[in-house]
Amino acid sequence: MNKENHTPFVSVKDVAMWYPYHGKRQQKGEKDWIKAVDGVSIEIEHGEILGVIGESGCGKSTLGKILTRLENPTRGDCLIDGVSTKEMIKKDAKKFRSTVQIVFQNPFDTFTPRDTIEKILLRPLKNYSIGTDNEDRRRICIEALEAGGLRPAEDILKRFPHELSGGQLQRISIIRSMFLNPGFIVADEPVSMLDVSVRADIINMLIELSKSKDAAVMFISHDIALTRYISDNIAVMYLGRIVEYGSADEVVKSPMHPYTQALISNCASIDPEDKQETISIEGEPPTPLNPGPGCYFAPRCYMACEECYKRYPEPVVSETGHWAACARIGENGK
Amino acid sequence: MERLLTLENVNVSYVNKDKKVYAVKNAGFSINKGDSLGVVGESGSGKSTLAMALLRLHDESRTEITGKALFEGKNLLELTQEEMNALRWKDISVVFQKAMNSLSPVHRISEQVEDIYRVHEPHASKKEIEERMIYLLKLVNLPERVYRLYPHEMSGGMLQRTAIAVSLLHSPKLIIFDEATTALDVVTQGQILEEVVQMEQEISMTRIMITHDMSVVAASCNKVAVMYAGEFMEIGYVKDIFKNPMHPYTKGLLNSFPSLKGENETLHAIPGFLPDLSKPEPGCVFASRCPQASERCRREKPACQELKDGRQIACWLYQGGETHE
Repeated sequence: MNKENHTPFVSVKDVAMWYPYHGKRQQKGEKDWIKAVDGVSIEIEHGEILGVIGESGCGKSTLGKILTRLENPTRGDCLIDGVSTKEMIKKDAKKFRSTVQIVFQNPFDTFTPRDTIEKILLRPLKNYSIGTDNEDRRRICIEALEAGGLRPAEDILKRFPHELSGGQLQRISIIRSMFLNPGFIVADEPVSMLDVSVRADIINMLIELSKSKDAAVMFISHDIALTRYISDNIAVMYLGRIVEYGSADEVVKSPMHPYTQALISNCASIDPEDKQETISIEGEPPTPLNPGPGCYFAPRCYMACEECYKRYPEPVVSETGHWAACARIGENGK
Repeated sequence: MERLLTLENVNVSYVNKDKKVYAVKNAGFSINKGDSLGVVGESGSGKSTLAMALLRLHDESRTEITGKALFEGKNLLELTQEEMNALRWKDISVVFQKAMNSLSPVHRISEQVEDIYRVHEPHASKKEIEERMIYLLKLVNLPERVYRLYPHEMSGGMLQRTAIAVSLLHSPKLIIFDEATTALDVVTQGQILEEVVQMEQEISMTRIMITHDMSVVAASCNKVAVMYAGEFMEIGYVKDIFKNPMHPYTKGLLNSFPSLKGENETLHAIPGFLPDLSKPEPGCVFASRCPQASERCRREKPACQELKDGRQIACWLYQGGETHE
């Protein structure tokens, strides 16, 4: 890869999202910050699926919200095709919304309960003047629904959201997000609310759409096995920072960061012979209220040393581009 | 090995004004002492309904329960509520999905524990109860101070651990986990599963684990029962079934989970939907979604058969104990 003259499609540059915190013990005027996302830089190419994993509260959803500009970051910016999204949304919010789309976790809350699917699906088409008239737009909807395996499409258009199952609704949600041919989709836990037997369909649909339309996808999930299945690359987040990044297979099979190692060793596998020694990590993830100055994971890490508490470690990069931010890589055989 | 619980022909149906929903049909299996049985299936397959029936937690004016569930010789389905109360907590206890909702928000853990303990041992002293609970809290890796906390002062993982500890107060012979780890984070879930498995080695405990996650069963159970539309499709040892699933539904379920480290095989969903449980079909319940269904499957219901390796299976493909491929 010639990185010098190549601008990645989506590029996140040192993004941070701090929420003010008003504690009991604070004086008036004093402010503390909850650092939900704190200095994340990442790149996603066309047609690439990036998986983001981590425990709850590690800032994965906040990162997704920043990328779709549902939140304005405290610091940093994300660029799409080299253009700042901050500028994009100021100049032409409509165009930005057609470039970046999001699929939410709960399909039951995604749609207006009082509108039929037809009304819900026609709205974005109308807003963006796709199709010549309503008849034409209806045709587009029917084609899209049938391509997504929702048959009979005519019948589904007449229904209300509560008359459809979660799997069907989530498929419609993905179809709707693809209507405007977005270049970038954020999928925030799109299958965690769904039944196991329909999950595979939704996942395969996402993969197919991303490959056929060459769209970049950010897949946020806490299910490691699933994320490995869908993603090309995986980023592991802990307390608002990315601690490890690499190709999906590498991160899951040979994790470098002790946090990733612990996370994966605790993940139940469907293969009963896959059982391995679990690395226990003490306690629950702390709140991201003024962590540091050292490595955020140090207090729970089984191999932390004095050095780890002093400053945040620099990332160590392997030849394949797989990197992890840990001061003790290379020790303990990892 | 000693039998602890035997189910014979258990049927549970919800009765409405004009409709009857057959939620569990002809359930039959047995659990030995020390077993851990995972009950898996999609939502709506009747897993929780069955557990609630065993615990007699259904509103009995609206449900019809028939059959036998022999727990140490007593038929759980025919006991009076008073007799049942004598068993609850002491012989059978349950951990629900949302520990948040199963603990009272306005009482300290200590007060709730004392209440529960005194149901069966009314004269127990505070000190005795505290000692017992602190021993259990240590078993689930919680600090002693939890005993004096209110539920809102704890995180989800701590609450779930507390609920497990409380369910062990009287060393029950059978403990039912109804999606007890589903709402938790990966790391917390992994830790709790490991603690539970370890605990079982220390104290003798028999466990039924209701979940929709096959990987939880693989990690923590020795037997598995696959349920679909209220009926058991396949029951057997985890090591046999996960390696060599035989029922098409079990195969379908296993195919829809990606492996953590193995080959990245394409995932396949099971097409179609659960059948309408208020209109029972004459044939196999899975026939409408089964890739290998024949005319016979749609017409006649296959009986549950026992194969050589001890697994029970209800499928025409394997009738007569032979293995057709």
